[in-house]
Amino acid sequence: MTRKIDIDLLDDGGGNSYYVKERKVYPRDVSGRMDKLRKLAVAWLLGMYYLFPWLNWDGRQAVLFHLQERKFHVFGPTFWPQDFSFLAMLLIILALVLFFVTAIGGRLWCGFACPQTVWTETFLWMERWTEGDRSKRMKLDAGPWNREKILRKGSKHVLWIVFALWTGLTFTGFFTPIRDLGARFWPFAWNGWEVFWVLFYAFAVWMWAGILREQMCKYMCPYARFQSAMFDRNTLIIAYDPMRGEPRGPRKRGLGDVLARGRGLLEKFTAYDYVFRAARHPSAADSRAQARGTISFDPTTAPVEPLPKFPAEQLGDCIDCTMCVQVCPVGIDIRNGLQYECIACGLCIDACDNVMDLMGFRRGLIRYSTQNAIDGKPSRVLRPRILVYALLLLALVAGFTWGIGNRSPLIAEVLRDRNALYRVTADGIDNGYTLKLVNKGDTAQQYRIRLESVTPGIDLGARTADTVAAAAGQIVSVPIELSAPASLQGRHDVRFVIETADGKVRETVESSFFGPL
Amino acid sequence: MSAYAPPPFDHPPRPIAQRIGAIAWPSFFTACVVTMVFFAFVDPLDLRDITFPGIEISRSMGYTIAFFMFWLATASSSLFTWLLLRPSSRFNRALPPE
Repeated sequence: MTRKIDIDLLDDGGGNSYYVKERKVYPRDVSGRMDKLRKLAVAWLLGMYYLFPWLNWDGRQAVLFHLQERKFHVFGPTFWPQDFSFLAMLLIILALVLFFVTAIGGRLWCGFACPQTVWTETFLWMERWTEGDRSKRMKLDAGPWNREKILRKGSKHVLWIVFALWTGLTFTGFFTPIRDLGARFWPFAWNGWEVFWVLFYAFAVWMWAGILREQMCKYMCPYARFQSAMFDRNTLIIAYDPMRGEPRGPRKRGLGDVLARGRGLLEKFTAYDYVFRAARHPSAADSRAQARGTISFDPTTAPVEPLPKFPAEQLGDCIDCTMCVQVCPVGIDIRNGLQYECIACGLCIDACDNVMDLMGFRRGLIRYSTQNAIDGKPSRVLRPRILVYALLLLALVAGFTWGIGNRSPLIAEVLRDRNALYRVTADGIDNGYTLKLVNKGDTAQQYRIRLESVTPGIDLGARTADTVAAAAGQIVSVPIELSAPASLQGRHDVRFVIETADGKVRETVESSFFGPL
Repeated sequence: MSAYAPPPFDHPPRPIAQRIGAIAWPSFFTACVVTMVFFAFVDPLDLRDITFPGIEISRSMGYTIAFFMFWLATASSSLFTWLLLRPSSRFNRALPPE
């Protein structure tokens, strides 16, 4: 043991704090196939988000979760709070879709579809327009506050805030009619809650996508922490191929890749050992790239020796340019293997492919592949878990579609009056009820009320109307009286039948009638 | 500024009883308090009438259902906190051998 252990006295500023400020990630701009896909996803998803509230459908806003009226319009159909079970089912279906997609394709959600990713990306674009690319931003942050820094940072925040406010307005527009909101903007006549939600959501977007960014995924996202439960060796991941890439190191151009010059792939154990040792003894280039993955290797007792210097013809295809680290929006080093911080955006694939092109090597040193494929084994798509997820999904989607198609356009409820069990009148015994009807359909309806009972003598009271009119979307509440001869005693089952004139829509409600005991 | 900070202290996993206790107990306590405060203002029978008037629910039944619902909510929150506070070394491990 001759190696000196690097120790450093922690400067804790007098207190005993071990708090370390999260180091800012400066993702480098990169272009390539994955980046194009990501931009497409952003255009599609944000396009839907910003456009949908402005579309109209049958003279009303096409997508509107109208909280004030307690009606939820999703294009054609209108849903009611009573349809909550559909929402619950939809959420279960979405969760299963997430599991299914994750088991097959890895964290596609994180890399392409998560709002956090999508907005962070747009905020990063704005940062690049105003502050420049990675190196310029790092220089700007390190430099003193001068005119240029104030102008660049100021214009970035102006762009961010305008975009965030528009996002907040759109968000609020999903819950209150957006055209009305727009019309009342000048002269300004929003109510307090509208102002609050626009500002609140704008703040949240600015904070999450502008300031916190990858920290949301690393410290606040539950999915990042349990997604690995869906993973196996046949799941697509962003993977570095250490058998081909190691040992890493810079070299002159002109030498072909490992296959072209006949070195071939390394044996698996050696390759992973090289990765491990390189991670423990980072090169100067790696240190500059400032990767901060938290990959944890199983503890070893033996000292970890740094890699020796290899001659160029023995090197693997990784030239240790650290481009994969520099473009990473969460700031990790993918060469250390799969990490929970990796959101599978695939930008390191683009960066590495570009470098491989420059070097004249075949692409795919970092690729979208399965662990089995990287280890040279066949990958299987149809696995038991895939089949189980698929079957569950199929059943749920079928049930959901059937349920939506056969939704009853009428809700009927009968409440017994709580004050008195029964009333004795001159003609006999009366029981009081309140009938609540909700016409969920798009047309006005006339409903007939009938009573069915096995006990003879119980019938609708003389003062009770046997038809009720309800306009489209109206909630009607009518008092109902049942009367029976004075000789009736005890509890009796009754059934209210509410139906339209043509009998197509029909609801029955069970209740009870009480006489003296 | 050293590029590679020393790895932060990684607490070994606590016994399972401790983990369950740390999630179940504070959430139980909170659910008790919430139930008491809530029903100081709301009558379970009123609640029944505006939600499921067709089902016979007595007062004590209402208290029980509400308590367990509150407990479910607070325990879920505690579980979420536990998940977020787990150190990354619990996730960033090698795949289990096949």
